[in-house]
Amino acid sequence: MESTSPFYSLVPEVKYSPPWQDLSIIGIAGSSGSGKTSVAMEIVKSLNLPWVVILVMDSFYKTLTPEEHAKAHANEYDFDCPESIDFDLLVDTLKDLKQGKKAHIPVYSFADHQRQTQTTTLYSPRVLILEGILALHDPRILNLLDVKIFVEADMDVCLGRRVLRDVRERGRDIEGIIKQWFAFVKPSFTRFVEPQRQISDIIIPRGIENTTAIDMVVKHIQRKLQDKSEKHTKALRKLGLLAAKVELPANVHIMPTTPQFVGMNTVLQDPATEHVDFVFYFDRLASILIEKALDMTTYVQATVETTNGNKYMGLSPKGSVSAVAILRGGSCLETALKRTIPDCITGRLLIQTDESSAEPELHYLKLPPQLEEHSMVMLLDPQMASGGAALMAVRVLVDHGVSEERIVFVTCAAGETGIKRLVAVFPNINVIVGRIEADGEPRWMEKRYFGC
Amino acid sequence: MASNEPVPSPAQGVGPIGQPDGEKPTATVSKEVSYENVHVLAQTPQLIALLTMIRDKRTARADFIFYSNRIIRLLVEEGLNHLPVVEQSVTTPVGRAYLGVKFEGKICGVSIMRAGEAMEQGLRDCCRSVRIGKILIQRDEETCMPKLFYEKLPADIADRWVLLLDPMFATGGSATLAVEVLKQKGVPEHRILFLNLIASPSGVAEFAERFPKLRVVTAFIDQGLDDKKYIIPGLGDFGDRYYTL
Repeated sequence: MESTSPFYSLVPEVKYSPPWQDLSIIGIAGSSGSGKTSVAMEIVKSLNLPWVVILVMDSFYKTLTPEEHAKAHANEYDFDCPESIDFDLLVDTLKDLKQGKKAHIPVYSFADHQRQTQTTTLYSPRVLILEGILALHDPRILNLLDVKIFVEADMDVCLGRRVLRDVRERGRDIEGIIKQWFAFVKPSFTRFVEPQRQISDIIIPRGIENTTAIDMVVKHIQRKLQDKSEKHTKALRKLGLLAAKVELPANVHIMPTTPQFVGMNTVLQDPATEHVDFVFYFDRLASILIEKALDMTTYVQATVETTNGNKYMGLSPKGSVSAVAILRGGSCLETALKRTIPDCITGRLLIQTDESSAEPELHYLKLPPQLEEHSMVMLLDPQMASGGAALMAVRVLVDHGVSEERIVFVTCAAGETGIKRLVAVFPNINVIVGRIEADGEPRWMEKRYFGC
Repeated sequence: MASNEPVPSPAQGVGPIGQPDGEKPTATVSKEVSYENVHVLAQTPQLIALLTMIRDKRTARADFIFYSNRIIRLLVEEGLNHLPVVEQSVTTPVGRAYLGVKFEGKICGVSIMRAGEAMEQGLRDCCRSVRIGKILIQRDEETCMPKLFYEKLPADIADRWVLLLDPMFATGGSATLAVEVLKQKGVPEHRILFLNLIASPSGVAEFAERFPKLRVVTAFIDQGLDDKKYIIPGLGDFGDRYYTL
């Protein structure tokens, strides 16, 4: 890239792979009625982590032809063999998620035996649980799995559960269920489901009742996550060390210390300041930052005529400008944003920093459509400490096709190491910083602004 | 059109800070003046775009109000930077010491009716409970000179810093009279800041020499004046654009 300034060439291979690019996938297979879903739910509950997703393989059923559709209604279609599942699509989806990209999950309608036109968008979670009778069937999927679980139950129990569930929840008749069981479910179990037992890491007999086994699985996942988290912290630290040697580059704009700006910062940092005053001065200071950020967008020449017929050769902004608030703190800056662009297109993402590991976690993401076409996307965060959340947020935008040059990170206060980390990884983004604060300063501004 | 053809304004590349000079779009920027007491806002692409918007006759009134308010806030922020501050250290919420400053001195706004009143909102956006005095100056039909018709100012104005508001600074006739009124009320010249959006080079020059201690803060110094004493290119009548057109 052109704008990579010379001193960055001294920094060898500055790369940052965010924690969610290292997604853990757990596969849970087992016979129909063995209790896979309950086990998956129990694991989610015990992990007690945000951003854990259960992906049910049923979503990947192939759309049926009219003949197959008729068979399905007569309980004569085999939903239990590998051919009924679109493994190619599933593999692609898992690969995308593993790489930190978003994926579109098909929505399957059991009523129509068809894939719906709409899909559910899934952004790479922290942990993904893939659950289905054939979750461990395809070798390509096995390569992507971190843990392979096989849930086992007595076949009588399985049948009993299936009858109860299908009658109660799916409004089916017992005869149909039994017909399907002996024609497809049981033969398929012997042919495809049971062999998965051999290649699983953990076999959970008696499903949900087996708390010891579930506990072991949870501990195992936690250990894996811990390892990844340590790796991430190390990588962040290394980035900091590398970055510490360089000066702040020209694309980091620190606001000049004018008397008013310093005065406002003084008011904001004084714990004796009343809440109403804090909000007022925060909005005023943030407005200046937003105005500054707007200098970074694209302008084109525009000649206009005044009401008294004179011509003026000026500028006009080109393309849309949008903003993405990094929640919760980023929404503090929205009042100022709306003061400047009342109808600014705004996206939001919720990143929470895990207190213990200092690792940012993406909890929620809602970005405006065609974000990649906007001439500028402002990322709003009132405070940046380690830069972890900022790195993650920029990464999310880049993953969504927004080019680095168009991203402007706007923050009221940031630590120098954090900024250096951010621009070491993304040398082409612009950063607007209100005030340089000590490294590792805990986030407090949003607490003051919202009063909680 | 004009009797004495005004000198063209400088044009230069104005673009995002990181953009190489050759790639920046060209726009007409403010003239430069060499008076120490005249402060022109930095000619950023953003400011030029805002000015372009309010100069454009096609801009609807709601947009005109919105964009001029944004420029006015920038003017007020710059104006306030000329007010005195004293050092103040605070212990921040995370227990660190921060050496900052505290605002010193009381302020008030004085708007020259009617266009100056359009700047009050922008002032209030930056200074919530600011007191605002008003001065009405009209051209005397007999003498053709500006005449004071009305004034209502805070009683303690002599103790305050005054932000004098009038968006279009053409000949400076009204502003000169307004400053005389303020001085009569006991406001020292150095405590007056005259904020305006667009100024004429001659207006600025005469004013700067007449009141050397008073500070002028403007967003743009335009080309000159036409024979009706309107600023060229200017934006037409600010009051009309803001209140009626």
